[in-house]
Amino acid sequence: MTNVIEIDSLHYRPGKGFALRDLSIHVPAGAIYGFLGPNGSGKTTTIRLVLGLLRPQSGRITVLGDRMPDDAPKILARVGYVPEQPHLDPTLTVDELLRFQAAFYPTWDGARATQLLRQFDLDGERLFGRLSKGQKAKVMILLALAQQGELLVLDEPTDGLDPVVRRDILAALLEYVSQRGAAVFISSHLVHEIERICDWIAVMDDGRLVTEVPMEQLKNGTKRLRVAGAPATLGPTPFALFAREPATAAAETWVVGEWKPEMAGYFPGIGASLQDVIDLDLEDGFVELLRSFRGGRSEGSA
Amino acid sequence: MFEHIDPRSSTPLYAQIAARFRVAIAAGELRTAALLPSVRELAARLRVNPATIAQAYRELEAEGFVEIRHGAGTYVRELAPGRRTRERARQAKALAERVLADARRTGVTLEELREAIDGVLGAKTT
Repeated sequence: MTNVIEIDSLHYRPGKGFALRDLSIHVPAGAIYGFLGPNGSGKTTTIRLVLGLLRPQSGRITVLGDRMPDDAPKILARVGYVPEQPHLDPTLTVDELLRFQAAFYPTWDGARATQLLRQFDLDGERLFGRLSKGQKAKVMILLALAQQGELLVLDEPTDGLDPVVRRDILAALLEYVSQRGAAVFISSHLVHEIERICDWIAVMDDGRLVTEVPMEQLKNGTKRLRVAGAPATLGPTPFALFAREPATAAAETWVVGEWKPEMAGYFPGIGASLQDVIDLDLEDGFVELLRSFRGGRSEGSA
Repeated sequence: MFEHIDPRSSTPLYAQIAARFRVAIAAGELRTAALLPSVRELAARLRVNPATIAQAYRELEAEGFVEIRHGAGTYVRELAPGRRTRERARQAKALAERVLADARRTGVTLEELREAIDGVLGAKTT
């Protein structure tokens, strides 16, 4: 099995407005896969489809080699899931929640649960409903890790948490991943966090996939160029041209993707000169990708 | 040792981490046979992908700085005489190149740069 999640040509339209359209994504085994997109772009809906909580109108979803939603029970026994909102019974204590969860999973690792309780400084006798937001998030990740899933699906696991709690959660997650070799599918809009831990990136916008690439490729290929003397209209370019704006009277700023150093040779050919190549971080790259994706779509529909 | 790891930099994280170890080894901070942190431990500490740490260690191994003993950990190898000195010289050169590139970009001349370095050194010694 090379991909732990495979989605092909998925369509899902719950009502009149929002829809997921022609979505195809591939999460390789062992990857930490970052699922980025603005609020409302379809990240949580996609996750719910992956977990079999929703049924697509068309398309194919395979998780850990089995079909979703038909094989949901078999798949879910092997997947750890942390939803965006705590969904646990607030009237149970942390210890009771652990016992409850353990009963569902034959792979449950009680020793790990105990160790994480200590590591997270959680009191087993406290009621879940009485915990702080950060403590609740820790309990949720603890449950997912102790279940020993081969795949972890995390929906905004650190959103709205303070930096100390975020650190503790990410450290525990990464420790688990290096020990178990599990794959992680993590949705977030905290770009800097994703930038640190992910080796694959997918970007969603308005129910569609903008791109799916290895992190290194996205980071190394997205640049801001300073170009002087370029003609107003251009033929095909060897790179993806996302944006082109005047910088000074003499020079323009170009934002490009799929850039390689040898492409500098393109500029003399069009009578222009390349003055500088500036690296972009993931956040800049993300913003430029979305901007060009939206621009391309509005041109296409006009 | 890892305060300067910057996920936003265009230098890949594995290369940044390998570079930190190279500096520590060249400076003698990590001596022969010193044990590097485990992949698991360092990934959790730096909050980076374990594969990133493993890749950094493989790069250091390919360069002959460390030995990965499977199941036993990653150790600093005994280096040929002069290797540490050469590595420090290489690092110094890379540093100078970075400073010069930055100076060019911001329009600082070589003369101004020399003066500034002398000024900073002077301020430190007096």
